[in-house]
Amino acid sequence: MELNFTKAFGTLLPSLLGGVGIVIYITLVGFAFALVAALLIAIGRLSKHKLLSRFLGIIIELIRGTPLLVQLFYIYYVVPTLINGVLAALGYEANVQLNASTCGIIGFAVNYGCYMSEVIRSAILAVDSGQREAGLALGFSEQKVLFHFILPPAMRNSIPVFGNYLVMLIKDTSLLAMISVQELLLRTKTYASQTFLTVEAYTILALVYLMLSLPLSQLGGIIERKLKRTQ
Amino acid sequence: MLQIKNLSKCFEDLEVLRDVNVTVSQGEVVVIIGPSGSGKSTFLRCINLLETPTGGEILYLGDNILQLGKKVTDYRKQVGMVFQKFHLFPLMTTIENVMYAPMKLNKVPAKEAKEQALKLLEKVGLSHKADSYPSSLSGGQQQRVAIARALAMKPEILLFDEPTSALDPELVGDVLEVMKQLAGEGMTMIVVTHEMGFAKDVADRVIFMDGGYIVEEGPPDEIFTQPKNERTKAFLSRVL
Ligand SMILES: Nc1ncnc2c1ncn2[C@@H]1O[C@H](COP(=O)(O)OP(=O)(O)OP(=O)(O)O)[C@@H](O)[C@H]1O
Ligand SMILES: [Mg+2]
Repeated sequence: MELNFTKAFGTLLPSLLGGVGIVIYITLVGFAFALVAALLIAIGRLSKHKLLSRFLGIIIELIRGTPLLVQLFYIYYVVPTLINGVLAALGYEANVQLNASTCGIIGFAVNYGCYMSEVIRSAILAVDSGQREAGLALGFSEQKVLFHFILPPAMRNSIPVFGNYLVMLIKDTSLLAMISVQELLLRTKTYASQTFLTVEAYTILALVYLMLSLPLSQLGGIIERKLKRTQ
Repeated sequence: MLQIKNLSKCFEDLEVLRDVNVTVSQGEVVVIIGPSGSGKSTFLRCINLLETPTGGEILYLGDNILQLGKKVTDYRKQVGMVFQKFHLFPLMTTIENVMYAPMKLNKVPAKEAKEQALKLLEKVGLSHKADSYPSSLSGGQQQRVAIARALAMKPEILLFDEPTSALDPELVGDVLEVMKQLAGEGMTMIVVTHEMGFAKDVADRVIFMDGGYIVEEGPPDEIFTQPKNERTKAFLSRVL
């Protein structure tokens, strides 16, 4: 077997570096939305409105019970069709299409939002109930107590887990190849089928993913240690 | 200023308080004693509505606080509470713990809140710990910060639920000293404690609770030297 890494590096790497921008963009934006969604879902789950809490519980089960890839397909292929169907029924001729990257961001926001909401929820429940009572006794309302005294320690305690999810998310962007986002995997696949440098191409791809995820998990470890020290 | 009438509290079918009647006047120090499980904490927690009473009424300056609705927070600002386990906010420094509520709830400007907090810390003997985090303080110091935090809202009444029970014996004195000083300044206080010495010295009135009832109440020298009720006698002979 002859390997030609020099050629693969020279031609695939520039193309992959172009994809890195997309990957980072989708990761950061998707993760930011996921965090917001997670926070809202967690608060909703813990609210006194039984209906809201039950509803969100079912959504979480739905999302956790189906593969992320299927959800991405659903958002990319099914949702636009449904929207167009509804619009047609209302008498509008429409051809709504969703941008693949946008679908990825939505998918990650929903999927990771659900998983991370459970992290936040248990972190909220783990905050000593004395904190709530101290806040109430000072004259804070239940709502203010949540924002001033419960969420700050809960979010802080969740940061290490959030870090793990961020690393998972950056790797999960490879799923977006399946809905035609020009991220790293799709670029590599195209390249490999054109040049037959399969071994080289996928090895380089793996290395690029490692270069993305290793610094992140290192950083996560550092932050975790720092948080422990100042606790 | 505080009138509690026929107060009762049940947890499910467990009756914890039965027909409790207490009147507290301005500047009075009321000490509540009684065996474990007699309902002392529950009684205190009903007063600032951390527990919702199941019967009776609580009148504060003539208003029934059980019908306050959303104004409950305004009422709670006037009734401070000090807990057995302090419950300081761990992510805030000592001084932030003290200045936080006035800033957020009463819109006191940061500078003013800080000055006031520093004065309060001085009062409890901890101004040198202003920038420390609670986790680096001893229990006795934490409890004194908790007292300063409660005072920062300028409450009319302070409730203490066994403020020294979680402390090592050698740290109890400092906390009691601060409480004595407050009593001397005319603060209205309701104190649940097992510190009989404090009750004798500082209380205007001692209430003995057992089984959810107020069994006996009176001035400390009366309760401690010539209790009338058998249960009071039995309890006191055990703790004195
Ligand atoms: N949230 C609750 N749910 C159910 N039962 C409770 C609750 N809080 C207190 N109780 C019960 O109410 C009774 C009185 O409790 P309370 O804490 O008021 O007693 P206490 O006099 O303060 O005792 P201690 O000296 O041990 O602090 C106890 O039997 C306790 O188990
Ligand atoms: Mg108690």
